[in-house]
Amino acid sequence: METDISVVVIVYNDATRLPTAVSSVLAQTLRAVEVVIVDDCSTDGSYEVAQGLAAAHPGRVRALRLPENSGGCGAPRNHGIEHARGRYVMFLDSDDELERNACRNMLEAADRSGADLVSGLCVRVHVDSRHGKRVEWYPWLYARTRTLDSIAELPDLFVFDTLSTNKCYRRDFLLEHDLRFPVGIHYEDLLFSARAYLAADRITLIPNRVYFWNVVEKGGERSISNRRHEIANFAHRMEIHRRIDELLAERGQEELKFRKDVKFLKHDLVLHLRDLPLLDTEYRHRFAELARPYIATLDPAAYEEAQPIQAVCAYLLDREDWENLLPAADTLTNRDKISVPLVEREGRIYWCDAGHLADPEGRRILDVTDEGYHVRPLPSMFLRNRLTTYEDDGRGTIRLTGRVVNPLGRIAPGARLRGQLEFRARRRSLRTFRFPLRTLDHTGEFIDWAAEADLAGRLRPLGVIDAVWDVRLVLEVDGERLRTRLSVDGPLLDRAERLRVRPRLTRLVADRLEPHVSRRGHLSFVLTSRGPAARRARQAVDAAVAGRAGDLARAGVRGARKARRRVDSGDTKIRTYHAALLKLPVRKGLVVFESHLGKQYSDSPRAIYEEMRRRGIDFEPVWSYAGRKPEGFPADATLVRRWSWPYLRALAQAEFWIDNQGFPLKLTKRPETTYLQTWHGSALKRMGFDEPRHKLQSRPEQERYQQVLDRFDHFLIRSEHDVRTLARALRLREEVLLRTGYPRNDALVAGRSAGHSAGHRTGHRTGRTAELAAELGIPEDRRVLLYAPTFRGGTSGRARGFELPFDVEEFTRRLGDRYVLLVRSHYLDHVVLPPSVRGRVLDVTGHHDITPLLLLADALVTDYSSVMFDYALLDRPMLFYAYDWEEYANETRGTYFDLREHAPGPFVETEEALFSALADLKAADTEYAAARHRFVTEYGEYDRGDAARTIVDMFFGGGRR
Amino acid sequence: MSREIFFVCNSVDELGGVTTWTHQMARLFTERGHRVHVIGITGTDVPQDLGSPLAELPYATTTLSETRPPKAGPSRGLRAKVNVAEARRRSAREAGMREQAAKLTALFRAAGEGAVVIVTQVWAMEWVALADTTGPTVIGMSHESYEYSRATSRFRRVKEFYRDVDRLLLLTQEDADLWILQGLDNAGFMPNPLPFWPERPSPREEKAVLSMGRLADQKGIDMLLDAWSEAAPLHPDWTLKIYGSGEDEETLRKQCTSLGLDGSVRWMGSTSDVPGELRTGSVFVQSSRGEGFPLALLEAMATALPCAAFDCAPGVREIIRDGEDGLLASLGNTTELARRLDELMSDRALRDRMGEAARRNVRRYGTDETVRRWEELFAFLER
Repeated sequence: METDISVVVIVYNDATRLPTAVSSVLAQTLRAVEVVIVDDCSTDGSYEVAQGLAAAHPGRVRALRLPENSGGCGAPRNHGIEHARGRYVMFLDSDDELERNACRNMLEAADRSGADLVSGLCVRVHVDSRHGKRVEWYPWLYARTRTLDSIAELPDLFVFDTLSTNKCYRRDFLLEHDLRFPVGIHYEDLLFSARAYLAADRITLIPNRVYFWNVVEKGGERSISNRRHEIANFAHRMEIHRRIDELLAERGQEELKFRKDVKFLKHDLVLHLRDLPLLDTEYRHRFAELARPYIATLDPAAYEEAQPIQAVCAYLLDREDWENLLPAADTLTNRDKISVPLVEREGRIYWCDAGHLADPEGRRILDVTDEGYHVRPLPSMFLRNRLTTYEDDGRGTIRLTGRVVNPLGRIAPGARLRGQLEFRARRRSLRTFRFPLRTLDHTGEFIDWAAEADLAGRLRPLGVIDAVWDVRLVLEVDGERLRTRLSVDGPLLDRAERLRVRPRLTRLVADRLEPHVSRRGHLSFVLTSRGPAARRARQAVDAAVAGRAGDLARAGVRGARKARRRVDSGDTKIRTYHAALLKLPVRKGLVVFESHLGKQYSDSPRAIYEEMRRRGIDFEPVWSYAGRKPEGFPADATLVRRWSWPYLRALAQAEFWIDNQGFPLKLTKRPETTYLQTWHGSALKRMGFDEPRHKLQSRPEQERYQQVLDRFDHFLIRSEHDVRTLARALRLREEVLLRTGYPRNDALVAGRSAGHSAGHRTGHRTGRTAELAAELGIPEDRRVLLYAPTFRGGTSGRARGFELPFDVEEFTRRLGDRYVLLVRSHYLDHVVLPPSVRGRVLDVTGHHDITPLLLLADALVTDYSSVMFDYALLDRPMLFYAYDWEEYANETRGTYFDLREHAPGPFVETEEALFSALADLKAADTEYAAARHRFVTEYGEYDRGDAARTIVDMFFGGGRR
Repeated sequence: MSREIFFVCNSVDELGGVTTWTHQMARLFTERGHRVHVIGITGTDVPQDLGSPLAELPYATTTLSETRPPKAGPSRGLRAKVNVAEARRRSAREAGMREQAAKLTALFRAAGEGAVVIVTQVWAMEWVALADTTGPTVIGMSHESYEYSRATSRFRRVKEFYRDVDRLLLLTQEDADLWILQGLDNAGFMPNPLPFWPERPSPREEKAVLSMGRLADQKGIDMLLDAWSEAAPLHPDWTLKIYGSGEDEETLRKQCTSLGLDGSVRWMGSTSDVPGELRTGSVFVQSSRGEGFPLALLEAMATALPCAAFDCAPGVREIIRDGEDGLLASLGNTTELARRLDELMSDRALRDRMGEAARRNVRRYGTDETVRRWEELFAFLER
């Protein structure tokens, strides 16, 4: 039979694993494969093993040998290419394996598409991991079968998958283009793959796993000695990069070069920078010498694509500013950490100054305003704490000093400071050991500290289960706590001794505590054994842990944990709710309130609750909250966390459910409970069964959804528009509808009449509105604009929060002397405002209830949010900044009416138009007065200002309580 | 090369698309000189008319056992272990299965070199898995989209029973890729062939949009009516002809009336002359919630009708080249489907261009082409 594929297996001193690699080829479902073993002149008998395999499988296995050792993978693979006979060639390393169907799948794909090169998914198998950890190599590139007519179609493939081994090459293609691996240099795969990708007329990718890359992990700790040789590697790496760039330049592949530059900033450089703190000065300089000329060749635009901290690192490395670069490298590893004091200049936040801000490029790259460091609350800040000295007295006491960064002076010089060192085991700590600080001083940009800890005397680990101990410095600033880790820069621990300790189990399991630097660059301690008895005991324990007894113990622990999880799982809760809780008696007067799934104390449920309180009605209120702490919820109600057991119990026994969105879908409502669904806004975009996602559901799914909706006993309506849209889309029965208007809007209706009489248009604020203005620091003479856009999750899919669709700094420049702008993004989004707009643009997203803000605002800017229907009640100017209307109306789920035609205010689509409309609000006010009136009649006719009273009368009135 | 080809199905003649497909392929392979044998695991209560009695088919058919094996729950879990009656049923089922599997083993052993076993459904595979298949090449099939399988117990069973077959065939590359991501690295694909080739295409003279399919939830006629209520007012001279019958007919007619569409919708009932009826329309619409590799679309396109359809499955995207020989709308978005219909109804030249392209393009699913692909696959799996 003709040979379809030759698999070139290279080996160097790996006699034991070679047969496994070879059998993974011989066991292929495709039979027409041959193995070409190329031995790089091994000295351990690998060649003899290869010859043995050849003899055992004549015609299928050949054994070749290089005359002298080449020291790399290139020469043996090239030799294999010369001797291959198949139509296609693949490469396999002696310690790896092919998936059973790999050759068949590669061949089928190649024959079908006529590709020169087929590539499949590589899986890294962590052979010494206890749970058989497997990591797929860039799986997003291999999510589906696809054929490329040029590598330019998928630059990510070029920059990320640089392996040569998960691929199948047409042999004639290799020969025609003279494709060989470079010899005498590391990272030969990178150059070979780049050449092959560029030469291929057609490339096919398949989602199949084809190659198992067996990885043996070296321990988690980092030390200088095992990093020093990496400088040589780095030199090779830079050389390979240069050669690839040359190749790209020759071929005019500018886009690929750009993508590669971005990847260099985001990945390659990061990899090396992370180790930088551990290298000593000499090596740092050699590293910089190698990197700087290469960084100079990067496209400046590539910095825009990298994350800010990555760009900052590259810039500082290029400037050899070690003082600011080392902390930056810390943030690179610990993404959340604030590592430098930061500086504020002209309303922007910069990583550092150090003269770089005079350079326009430095100013651009070092601007980290958007990271929002300046608005982060102190307790949630993760501050860099650099260990400056480490000493031990040889008897088990260590003396440490360090400095904590004080970003933007957030820790005031007069603040009350306290602190202590905490030692905790990384896994299942039974105890925390605390040591007081000896000194703690505010020095302006830093907080300096010193401590002494008698570890030998006071730290008593159990042994075995608590092998790694982490160290934290807990800082208390005016009563607020923040935790820091101790970062180790440079060879601080090189001469550190191991400390004697006495584990509680027995000193046989371990007798020393050794300082280490964790993977993230922090000081930690590891229990080790020194004495011969302890070492022997340690081996015995290890053996037991690895053996049958250990398995059993672990299975027991896992089982217990699983059982615990099961008890608290959603399924169990739902089952118990129905089987047991619903059997409990209904408690008269028990009312459960919820607003926006527990995220807020707001909206109509709040208005009803407050009306009931005002009327002195005797009832038992329960408010549901989501998140850790019920901040901002009323103190005079029982507060239950959403989905907690008390929450479920309250729902099961309640006489009333009152919410504006929906209690958990899977919870049935008993007939004795009355569900008052206030809803949360009139509809512009399609809802319920008018949405494609519900239409496409099968009948049983639709019926389940209908059951959820049928729980509503009453549903509040603001207008006949709601009846035509919401009520129809949710398939509500006529008798469910209550034409009362929204309780939350009573205040707005009152605000309108008050506004007319008290002369709102003069900008005069009274009562609670004035209080709110004062609380927000809004000057008397400034008018207030509220920007409240709708939620846009899912469309961008970005994690960095919501970006304002206009330039706030431009806004303050042009209109800041007349207006204060309040920004309220959806409660799921969050915005970061630069310090330059401080006092003139305020983030009010955190306010629970929007109604007071509406009352305060002299004009509203929105896009498609249902807040438009409510704000219209106030009869104040409204602006519609609908910069993505076409997309919103057509590509999402469609709208009930065309906002362009019905908007009761200017409908603008560009930033410029927005600013000009804001500049002339008065014109908008008068011009649209009639339109606003029509809008209220059409969409809010039942909002008459008495909704809360009517509802309380209806359900809780009659003095029966 | 002439081969022995076994089709192993749930049943030789149960009503359904897989049976139609099996006998179409059996005929085609027989015509090519292969020796075909269709094997059913059990009999059926709802047989399909195969055109002629089983005994007169030009190839052999066998039913292993007329009665269905007793049902038994899974053997996992404590409760299953202590349930005696259940355990008895399970062991009876297993014994029965082994007996039938032995019959399969005997048939496979008697076959010569180059024999191929095509298992059309995963339920049948549970029997084949117990048989000795060292000789023949075993090809497993799943005739539904990945998404459709995922909602059923077949999802787990496909992964379990098809794991070691020589090839698992899905209907499209996209479905195969999804199974590969589930760890089935032996997955490939093979489209279904056109059921017939109409000699005369539709002249596209009548101002009618056609829909053909059971009046059942899966076919989404409710969504079609919603879409039609948006498109019809723009084209008062057009009618929507809905072919088919089914359990939802009454509900759908009510919906039609309440949408005020009685004037433009005609309920045509079932038809036995699909090719003839297709020639009475100018546009074809498919509004299904789920499909595998819909033959109705193939037939309409072969009759030179431009199609508008919900993009509900890889099979649909595979058959219709959006914008070239038909138009797709995202599943459930009735407004979008209405827009697609509007485009086609408004533009005669577009209908002609897409209709002709459709007829040309679906030739790739012609029977000769499909048989060639199968024979190539048999040879490939022997390499």
